[in-house]
Amino acid sequence: MPVITFDKKYLYSMLGADMNDDKLSDQVSKLGFEIETVGADDIALEITPNRLDLLDGVGFSRTVKNFMHKSKKYVYRLQDDVPKFSILVEPSVKKVRPFISGLVAQGLTLSGSDLVNLINFSEKFCETYGRGRRKIAIGMHNFDKLKTPLVYRSGSDEDFVALGNEASMKYSKILESTEKGKQYSQILKSDKVCYYPELIDSEGPIAFIPILNSERTKITTATKNIFVDITGTSEYAVNKTADLLTATFMDMGAEVKKVRINYGKTQMDTPELAERYVVVPLTRIEREIGAVIGFNNVISLANKMGYEAALVGNNIRFRVPEYRLDIIGEQDVIEDVAIAYGYEYIRPAPIFYSQRGGLEGSTLFNRKAAEVAIGLGFTEFSNSYLTNEEVNFNKMGLHRDDGAVALKNAKTEAISMMRTWLLPSLLGNLSLSTKEKLPQNVFELDLVFAVKDSSVNEAYHIAGVSIDTKANFNDMKAAVEGFLKALGIEHAVTELNHKSFIPGRCAEIKAGSKRIGMFGELHPLVLKNFGIEEPGTAFEMDLSTLE
Amino acid sequence: MHRYEAIVLKMLSGRPSAGFDELASASKLGKDEVMWALENLKAKGMVVVEYSEQERIVISEEGKEYVKDGLPEEQLLNKLREKEVNVADLVSQKGRIGLQWARKDNFVQISNGLLKLTDAGRIAAGFGTKDGNLLREIANGEYDERSGERSKEAMLNLVKRKLISIDTQKHIQSISITKEGMEAPKEVSQGVIDNVDRNVIAGEEWKEKEFKRYDVNVGIERKHPAIRHPMKSMIEDVRNAYISMGFQEISGPAVETSFWAFDSLFVPQDHPARDMQDTFYVSYPESSRVDDESFVRRVKNVHESGWHSKWSEDISKQLILRPHTTSVSSRYVYNIIKEMEQKEGNYNLPIRLFSVGRVFRNEAIDYKHLADLYQMDGIIIGKDLTMSNLFDTLKKVYEYLGIEVKFRPSYFPFVEPGAEFSAKMASRNTWIEMGGCGMLREEIAGVKRSKLTVLAWGAGIERLMLIKDPKLTSITELYNNGIGWLRNREVI
Repeated sequence: MPVITFDKKYLYSMLGADMNDDKLSDQVSKLGFEIETVGADDIALEITPNRLDLLDGVGFSRTVKNFMHKSKKYVYRLQDDVPKFSILVEPSVKKVRPFISGLVAQGLTLSGSDLVNLINFSEKFCETYGRGRRKIAIGMHNFDKLKTPLVYRSGSDEDFVALGNEASMKYSKILESTEKGKQYSQILKSDKVCYYPELIDSEGPIAFIPILNSERTKITTATKNIFVDITGTSEYAVNKTADLLTATFMDMGAEVKKVRINYGKTQMDTPELAERYVVVPLTRIEREIGAVIGFNNVISLANKMGYEAALVGNNIRFRVPEYRLDIIGEQDVIEDVAIAYGYEYIRPAPIFYSQRGGLEGSTLFNRKAAEVAIGLGFTEFSNSYLTNEEVNFNKMGLHRDDGAVALKNAKTEAISMMRTWLLPSLLGNLSLSTKEKLPQNVFELDLVFAVKDSSVNEAYHIAGVSIDTKANFNDMKAAVEGFLKALGIEHAVTELNHKSFIPGRCAEIKAGSKRIGMFGELHPLVLKNFGIEEPGTAFEMDLSTLE
Repeated sequence: MHRYEAIVLKMLSGRPSAGFDELASASKLGKDEVMWALENLKAKGMVVVEYSEQERIVISEEGKEYVKDGLPEEQLLNKLREKEVNVADLVSQKGRIGLQWARKDNFVQISNGLLKLTDAGRIAAGFGTKDGNLLREIANGEYDERSGERSKEAMLNLVKRKLISIDTQKHIQSISITKEGMEAPKEVSQGVIDNVDRNVIAGEEWKEKEFKRYDVNVGIERKHPAIRHPMKSMIEDVRNAYISMGFQEISGPAVETSFWAFDSLFVPQDHPARDMQDTFYVSYPESSRVDDESFVRRVKNVHESGWHSKWSEDISKQLILRPHTTSVSSRYVYNIIKEMEQKEGNYNLPIRLFSVGRVFRNEAIDYKHLADLYQMDGIIIGKDLTMSNLFDTLKKVYEYLGIEVKFRPSYFPFVEPGAEFSAKMASRNTWIEMGGCGMLREEIAGVKRSKLTVLAWGAGIERLMLIKDPKLTSITELYNNGIGWLRNREVI
């Protein structure tokens, strides 16, 4: 989950003088978030992925203040709809990064903390909601240094003076040699072609998107008017992000102006700030939460969560705040009412029912099988389903076969496939217990995995191993026959040639015509492979065929 | 005199003294039998047994962990070597312990809330602390009692910190025969019953003879019962909790399509949880199709309108190792709603289902992290169900397991409203996160069309073990499968 660190002085300056660490921690946890650490100067919060608007200190303060009824900021409307200027979108960006939105925030007085907050927020937001700048990237520029209108296009490998530089560099060089370039270059490559999306004004590029902005248009605490560009692969996300930032800048005291986006055939003005309402019957809200709340209280709870709400017939109409990107339908709004109501006040209420419960057939059978194995003196082990060729095949004296489920991307080298049988896991365990007293009798009952006809077959196996100075074929046969007899399974035994066992001391178990497993004396080579130097016998059976 | 006593006395006469092992092997009796005979002879004053005491240093589980990682203060000093640390950031228990010891030895100083190394601390960071060095010496078998004086204070510290304990064992040093023993007639008595056999019972010998009295305190070697694995045993408890409340068990595949694990649950296709960084992808077989084409179309529509981005069927076909057992719940919700639509609501509601199974995450595994763990999942499908019903059900499931839970708002992609619940860990007086729960989103599996409410939750099971067994230091300990560990485990 994303973690954001806020400067405490800055945050508390917005939250009000009477705020303190304990109070904030209490409110934050009621809202559904967790404070990671509180330091003398900083406060780190864990934000759930649905509320990435709270990565912004301004947005976070607004939400907390609304929640505490200390402010009533519900609606963000512009003074006028007249676009400040136009951005022409050329078709060349279609293949790499087709969408753009923008806004102008005027009349700002930026403190150092404001600037840090804006930069931290847009970085974190583009990492998370923006999926590492692929879906969304935000750029901020000093509007007064722009020579509008702008053109958004994907051009050739130009020279560019990037933020913090004096000399110019080719785009390709930026991708190769700068930190940001290396980090995000993958976004610009598709089908072995590298694109260079850029935003240009009459004096040249102001941004190499989504990598770096220009030195010429950089923002500082002296900047009064900011132009924000938002680019990405999702038109919805690009436009909603402009709405979200509008709320932030308006809370910072700016006047926000629209920007016209000219896609050629179509055009639109952003931020759109389209009014959106979700209408929910009061009965549904009360039913889902499980409490009688009443119209007036629901409206007050909605206000706490930043919604303007009104009674319409028997329904409540919630106006979705401009900065909320996560509201899909009625359930999302109901959750917000529930949070404002307080989960601690939701009183547990029983459900009445008449059906009996029950277990799966395999569970009941496996329980019996485990009981019998324990009766025979075997102690149960439990191991990972994940293994590798070396353990599953090679150490057992076998060659890799094509019946194994293989994995693509394990971070751990010791994992490359799903186990096809249990014995290697048990021998692996026993290799670590060679100093313990003999006899050692152990078993495992769990799933193994095999590919059959290109689909995966998951089956319960049981396997056991006995390590003892006197371990021998007949004793293991006695245990296996006792096990099968106790479970009422008629069976026959024939000689089996299996590389893991000593030739002539291994048998196959059949129930009717079905092969259900095998047992025998483990081959000295196999035992040695697992570092075991005492005689060992083993069995393994497929329980899914027996149940 | 018992036969064993007679043999032992014969062996002892003619030599001034003997050791226990020597006596046992010369007598050709078992060790338990010789021990038993000696106890009797000692009581009769026929032998003198001299004991020696041997001290052995035993390292505790916590101590073993520190042998590997260094003492908490050493870990802290090492961290400080790289950078200064804010005191307020040391919130973990281990961090606190480290700070306490580091301060005691003046290895650190605090100024303005920042923790810095002192000169002594810098030396200790490089060469280890006295306590740490001694602990490692003991672990490596390098500790020499003669150097005891030098490390006396460190030794006391380690004992006080419960990292080691001094175990005193009594050993027989020598056995010698007394005058009485020499003179006693070495005849095996005919008049008392030792081992009870057929003649004693069927032939009623016990009516004429006396039973020989045994020493009930005789030292024997304990037997190790075969037991179920603690995790498997915990899983059976969990199953019992659910069936006690009328839940039916269900299951589903561990190797699952992305469709059932993610898409059917309304997880967007660009969601970070679906990254190769977090989820295991299967390379063979690589994909599997979902049969119900009209359902696939519905899922596509729901995604494209809800997430405002293109939905790819190919991505949904990719096989993965399921990251949660909610995939099982998803399959059942889909099936039940489909059947209900066909049978026109001929169902006995509410339907309560649960599953237990392994889930996987692409972790770099080490002594603290595992790539597969057990999870439980539950669903209740019914009409007009509420969050209060959900909280009540979960409280009762955990109550059965002897655990108190509480709820707070949180976000999980499949539920809305959603909550996180945590369980009280009495031994450490903290709450630990157990899982997530809520109302299944109506975008999922035809919930909206059915006009039903589905309560759903998922929670880890290994964490229950941590709460139930305060001796457990980490969940990986559960899967080491050490025979010695299992042989000494209490099953309650």
